[in-house]
Amino acid sequence: MTTLVKVPEYKNTQKTKDRIISIIIGFFALAWLFPIAWTIWSSLRPYNDVIANGVFSVPKTLNFENYYNAIRLMKLPMYLTNSFLITFPAVVLTLGFGSLIAFVVSRYSFKFNVALLLFFTAGNLLPQQLVFIPLFKMYLWIGDLFGNRALLYDNILGVVLIHVAFQLGFATFVLSSYLKTIPKEISESAMVDGASVWVHYTQIILPLLRPPLASLAVLMTTWIYNDFFWALVLMKSDSKRPITSALARLQGEFVTDFNLLAAGAIVAALPTLLIFILLRKQFVSGLTLGSTKG
Amino acid sequence: MSEQNNGISRRSVLKGAAVGGLGIAAGGSLLAGCGSKDVGPMKWGGRGLEESSVKWHEAVKAAYEKASGNTVTLNMNDANAFQNNLSQYLQGTPDDGFDWMAGYRMQFYADQGLLEDVSSVWDEIGDQFADSYKIASTGSDGKQYFLPTSWYPWGLHYRKSTMTELGLDPENIATWDDFMKMLEATKKKGLIGYALGDKGGWEAMGTFDILNARINGYQFHVDLLAGKEKWTDAKVAEVFKHFEMMIPYMNKNVLDISWEGMRDLLLQKKCGAMLMGSWFSGDFKTLSQADYDDLWIVPFPEINPEHGRDTIDAPIDGLCVAANGENIEGGKELVKWLASKEGMQARLDSGNTFTSANKGQDTSSYDPFQKQQLAVMGEAKYITQFLDRDTRQDFANPVVAPAIQNFLRAPKDINKILESVQAQWDALPAL
Repeated sequence: MTTLVKVPEYKNTQKTKDRIISIIIGFFALAWLFPIAWTIWSSLRPYNDVIANGVFSVPKTLNFENYYNAIRLMKLPMYLTNSFLITFPAVVLTLGFGSLIAFVVSRYSFKFNVALLLFFTAGNLLPQQLVFIPLFKMYLWIGDLFGNRALLYDNILGVVLIHVAFQLGFATFVLSSYLKTIPKEISESAMVDGASVWVHYTQIILPLLRPPLASLAVLMTTWIYNDFFWALVLMKSDSKRPITSALARLQGEFVTDFNLLAAGAIVAALPTLLIFILLRKQFVSGLTLGSTKG
Repeated sequence: MSEQNNGISRRSVLKGAAVGGLGIAAGGSLLAGCGSKDVGPMKWGGRGLEESSVKWHEAVKAAYEKASGNTVTLNMNDANAFQNNLSQYLQGTPDDGFDWMAGYRMQFYADQGLLEDVSSVWDEIGDQFADSYKIASTGSDGKQYFLPTSWYPWGLHYRKSTMTELGLDPENIATWDDFMKMLEATKKKGLIGYALGDKGGWEAMGTFDILNARINGYQFHVDLLAGKEKWTDAKVAEVFKHFEMMIPYMNKNVLDISWEGMRDLLLQKKCGAMLMGSWFSGDFKTLSQADYDDLWIVPFPEINPEHGRDTIDAPIDGLCVAANGENIEGGKELVKWLASKEGMQARLDSGNTFTSANKGQDTSSYDPFQKQQLAVMGEAKYITQFLDRDTRQDFANPVVAPAIQNFLRAPKDINKILESVQAQWDALPAL
């Protein structure tokens, strides 16, 4: 190994390779950053300036007025509460159910073991748009059955349930893959020691699942928090919708102040960013832990 | 408002769950409110979440509660989301009265039985509206399902200052030849004669509408959009011949800019005139009062003397009552008051700038541009709602929009394009 690196030609080709790779990576990094940078840039410009001089003009003023107005108009406390009421139960339920299913399909062998796992994973592949009309009718039908149309439709409960249903497939898939990398001997010795199924799950499996659960929690929180579709089609009242709908307060039927909207979008995205930054260690370790043990 | 809504829903969830638990199939509506005035609490679904819209809705709601003693729950919605989800909204748990649009967009839902017949309201306050409004509020079964509140015209907008500089007087353009001369004069000065953007596909429909109405008349236009006339008719080709004559005076990037691009051309004094709905005038006001005062609108000139300037695209906004609402009588009372002169006055008093659809409205609070809008709409005998409101939704945007875009790209292919439009209409399933 060491002798190879000392050969000058090889060293040079390696360097050029590295450089080319860096340039390509740098290019993609810029391509990814550009929209975000453009949003921040737009959010600092007043609308007046843009309609008078065009989007690509040199700005006369840059200020935080759009942020001030966005926060004032967005009714953040209401929408953030709604987002929390949707996201928190949905993530907890998804992880709870997901870990239960993962536990069963990876630790107990029965006839439909693999089929069950496939079923959950395949369900995840269905596009949301495909199922929303039947789901909408189903929600109304269930509501009518109980004499209250707003039991699931136009109700936070309904949105939470559909999130759980949709995210469960992915959670099960990740958790069961992770569990398969953990030696079965641990479970076997637990059973030999007389652990019941419940004790086996809570005392042995759950603690082992902590890293993937943490990274899944971050992912799920981001996905559910950012969801716009389900809240839009399954809820009629704007006052029950999550933060993603708050942006609608910043645009008119015809005319939209895109600079104000940019500021609002950044404000709405901040909480997920914050969660990610706070939990990034768990997130990264969770992702890599699974891969190295394969 | 919001907390209250959440509270109500949570309670009703519990109630629903309790009923379910007991195994009782509860049927019938909870509210069977009757009586002439005391109609119980009602809900109003408002469109538009932006600050100005919320403000006038709340002001009008308060005025109604004060005038009637009824309680109204106002649920504001994002305008575009509301429009796209109206079908679910109406099938689910709709508000009793809600903001909507006239013409085909209303008829479509009325035909499906999702809207409540409000003929009785028309019997009471119908004399406050012009006849053309009643036509626009009538469903295909001859009953009224809609009450008009506000409208805006599609006309030629220009800056008075630019036209003065060019030595032109758009108010006195009488014929197509005069119009072409005006475009020529604007072009000679290095400006765009007729600004157009059609990136969104709908913007140029306004130009098509007005040309068709001017050349072939109101009846042909309406029949064409209803499928009673053929797109392959020589009359339609004639419309596009005129359209083609305007292309040399347009900006070169028609398909690259949307309506905002058109607006900017006018704002930045780069064009002479453009055909657009007057709603964009708010942006001129945002920029400065001077820019707003500079803005003016005139009707599109006459082409065929037989029809003169008798038609205009003036989309009407207003109110409907949902058939699945909890309090239909309440909804009717609500929309009756909202569309009436008093309701409209409350809206004007709240500072909302719009042109009232009510015949007897006191227009003293209107600014000159608003009065001019009224004058432009007032001279027309027939009102159309705009192409994408006047025909099937599965035809306007998916078929006509790309057809006009293709025409702007290659005007020579117009016959082929029109044949394709007709073929696509013929292929549509019957409603």
